[in-house]
Amino acid sequence: MYNSLSNRRSFIKRMAKLSAVTAAAAMFPGIIFADEQEAAIPNGANINWKKGPCRFCGVGCGILVGVENGKAVAVKGDPNSSVNKGLLCVKGYHQTMCIQSKDRLTHALVKKNGKYVQTSLNEALDIVANKMKETIALHGKDSVAMYTSGQSTIPEGYVASKLMKGAIGTNNLDCNARLCMASAVAGFLTTFGADEPMGCYEDIEYADYFITWGNNMAEMHPVLFSRMLEQKSKRGAKIIDFATRTSRSSTASDKSILFEPQTDLAVANAICYEVIKNGWVNNSFVEKHCNFSKGLINMGYGIEDKYKFKDKPEKINFEAYKEFLKDYSPEKVSKYSKVSVKDIKYLASIYGDPNKKVVSYWCMGMNQHTRGTWMNNLVYNIHLLTGKISQPGNGPFSLTGQPSACGTAREVGTFTHKLPKGVVMNEKHRRLAAKIWKVPYERIPAKPTYHATEMFRAVDRGDIKFIWTQVTNPLVSLPKTSRYRPGMKKDSCFVVVSDVFPTPTSDVADVILPASWHIEKSGLYGNSERRTQHWNKMVEGPGETTPDAWMTIEVAKRMGFSDLFPYSKENHVEEIYEEYTQFHEGAKHGMAPLEVLKRESGVIWPYVDGKSTQWRFNAKYDPACSNGESFHFYGKPDGKAVIWQRPYEPAAESPDKEYPFWLNTGRVIEHWHTGSMTRRIPVLHKAMPNAYVEFHPEDAKSLGIRNGENIKISSRRGACVLPASINERGLPTKGQVFVPFFDENMLINDVTLDAFCPISKEPDYKKCAVKVEKV
Amino acid sequence: MRNRLGIITFFVLLFVCFIVVWNLSYKNGLEESYIPLENSSSDIFIPSESGVFRRSGFALEYANMPIDINHQKSLDEYYENRAYYGAPPSIPHPVKEMNLGANTCLQCHQNGGFVPKYNSYAPVTPHPEMINCRQCHVAQNSNSLFKPTNLVKILAPKVGVNNALLGTPPLIPHQIQMRENCLSCHAGPAAPKEIRVSHPERINCRQCHVPTDRVPNKIKPFIRTINNTNE
Repeated sequence: MYNSLSNRRSFIKRMAKLSAVTAAAAMFPGIIFADEQEAAIPNGANINWKKGPCRFCGVGCGILVGVENGKAVAVKGDPNSSVNKGLLCVKGYHQTMCIQSKDRLTHALVKKNGKYVQTSLNEALDIVANKMKETIALHGKDSVAMYTSGQSTIPEGYVASKLMKGAIGTNNLDCNARLCMASAVAGFLTTFGADEPMGCYEDIEYADYFITWGNNMAEMHPVLFSRMLEQKSKRGAKIIDFATRTSRSSTASDKSILFEPQTDLAVANAICYEVIKNGWVNNSFVEKHCNFSKGLINMGYGIEDKYKFKDKPEKINFEAYKEFLKDYSPEKVSKYSKVSVKDIKYLASIYGDPNKKVVSYWCMGMNQHTRGTWMNNLVYNIHLLTGKISQPGNGPFSLTGQPSACGTAREVGTFTHKLPKGVVMNEKHRRLAAKIWKVPYERIPAKPTYHATEMFRAVDRGDIKFIWTQVTNPLVSLPKTSRYRPGMKKDSCFVVVSDVFPTPTSDVADVILPASWHIEKSGLYGNSERRTQHWNKMVEGPGETTPDAWMTIEVAKRMGFSDLFPYSKENHVEEIYEEYTQFHEGAKHGMAPLEVLKRESGVIWPYVDGKSTQWRFNAKYDPACSNGESFHFYGKPDGKAVIWQRPYEPAAESPDKEYPFWLNTGRVIEHWHTGSMTRRIPVLHKAMPNAYVEFHPEDAKSLGIRNGENIKISSRRGACVLPASINERGLPTKGQVFVPFFDENMLINDVTLDAFCPISKEPDYKKCAVKVEKV
Repeated sequence: MRNRLGIITFFVLLFVCFIVVWNLSYKNGLEESYIPLENSSSDIFIPSESGVFRRSGFALEYANMPIDINHQKSLDEYYENRAYYGAPPSIPHPVKEMNLGANTCLQCHQNGGFVPKYNSYAPVTPHPEMINCRQCHVAQNSNSLFKPTNLVKILAPKVGVNNALLGTPPLIPHQIQMRENCLSCHAGPAAPKEIRVSHPERINCRQCHVPTDRVPNKIKPFIRTINNTNE
């Protein structure tokens, strides 16, 4: 596949001579590009560079794709992007290699008598639209559902929302971001009343301490971690890793602190206890800008079908909060968290030191948590009590895992309760959506329906008769796939899957629609730091592959909603974006106009008067602040952020005699999520060919397990066989095993538990009880 | 008479028991001495992470270090000093016989530096925790051979041809067991000029560079175990 050397050499030579590399050579005197390093590289490549965001994680690196004769032949980091400044990770550099995969879905496939038959796209879309209409006529609007993605582009998410909520009139729309970002959203909304981080990546350049909460950034957000490492070696900034597993990030950190799963709740409270006890509270900040609240406790875990929960916030005062914290002295907490009193006090002293700037980073460790919303609240508490927020180098920062989890899932709102602006429960928000969509306001239902987990439970129960998934692979990524795979196979539900490659999800589809990949279409993504990025189509897709947004529009037209979807095939991305930005007009969320996005390598919103707002809620940087103070948390009606009283509660399932190990799942640097793309990139597959189960060496020894031996991991829900890995990539704590979830041939999510955070409805993939046996 | 018969029977029984027990324990002993060889059941090989960031504290110094052109080493010299590609290098300078290595070697090879005596920079070891140096590294005290040999050195990977796509970061073409710390060989004045990294300050090397040399196991292409999309 990549054997031709002459072109590559010619290209490398050009690169070395022309591009940013020479600039770097001038900056760093030590760098040389010795002739030996470019020996035998002839001249003469003819490559066109096109700008865009990376297809993979939520960091949102800028990439330049080298196109030659209509083929993507190279990828490099965009030096103009302030996110990555020209650097990428191994996935980013090789991303375009997946589109040449031989098993690419190039045509629509329709299941006829148990066999997939190649069908023209027109006919397949007719089938989808007819089936959807027929199902609605027979079983009502709430029997059809759409499940989209944090990898959908902004236009793709927008038309899906408009079709389901505006045209059909059902809230049966949710997305896979529910599995990764919902707790972050709920955390932001409960504490600040406005979603998404207040700071930006530039914080890295100012912070003295980076505290990562259950977050292996060296593998999951490698480019940001590189920026942190750069500050570590240049300025002596410190990285503190607070986690349940020793990872590559831990070894690169200045200090690694390990805790017992689920006790992060208690440790965060203990930090607040210490901050208050030692008089490190920023009193004027707390007085002016914070309220105290408590919510319901003993919420349950959502393991049963049709579980409902609604929090009842209740205002309290600082004294009551202090009283509550008395249960969380470092001495008490250290007993069950397995974090030493010294380490808790050390963490508190970092947050408490008024002369040190601290950024907290987290991603799935805190979000995929049965108390994920609480956990997010608790970290905000620490930053609010010390006033370390919304300033360069100071602030909590929730990272995302998907390229447009923020841009599409959260901003466009492809969740059941969301609208492009606000929520369906709010009449004002419904009226605004109805006005822009030009639909009767009554059509948008005021009640949210199914969140992701419940949606697939409804499929299993037979309540949902038609489901259309786009840009996602739920039968690898959902928890407890051992229930949802048979559920989706049932004849009661008609399954439509749009994807680029065949996946375990497309295996159960009735219709498979061939989607365009990333650079084969135009689009917009939004990354973790509120940066919106636009790209133009760079290469032609094979066969009848079509952008997801256009397939949704075509189905909408076939269902009789042509007037609501008056977009043109050539320019639909731009037309949709123009319509969408009407929702966010104003200083609080204004989006940059298209011509700016086309010119720049991404622009941060709120974009006001031609300027990005890098630090929200801080009057110095944010023109939306209007209370005359230095900070204004304008998401809440009274302009104050909320410090939440949230207790420690145990995990939904803990190890016991029968199932004595914790199971933690996660990712590896080589593969991205369910691996449907990265496993088709030969470089990445060779580097990490299959999943494995990590043991602590002492556990392995006592069980007599050797490296590479096949081990059966089983829980009350299902089992999975994987080779053992001891002292390789990571080191779980004793009594814990770790499995990456990218491998569709070793489905660890058959084993995981579908318990979720009752507030955010985000499942916990990091904690359940398993037993291990040699096979 | 009856008494005597009883005693004889008792001793006969005792003797029979002794034979049986002795046989059993002998058989058991035989079984225990046999250790079955188990085949490793899997293809997995993930390089260890130990010491990956060890030399990162020097990264900025490496980046800012001026190049001493007159004393650069070349990749040819580097491989010249190894019996085959991947073998532990031999010691190309005289050494005292009465020590195992340890601090005597580490003095120069832990952090490197110029050694006027040999007019050369000392290479840095990627595994300073292993102090019985001369277990693997031996001096070359003679150029002659005991008997002629047919041994042919296997070819080491070439420089500049290990990229998967145009201009992408080169893959790691060699095994990294005991060489997890990239900067040891790829940065600093002792690094062979052809493989000296242009950006030592980016210490998270395996963010962009992943191994491709995966002996001893062959990596099969990614195959979906369930595949029903083909009509």
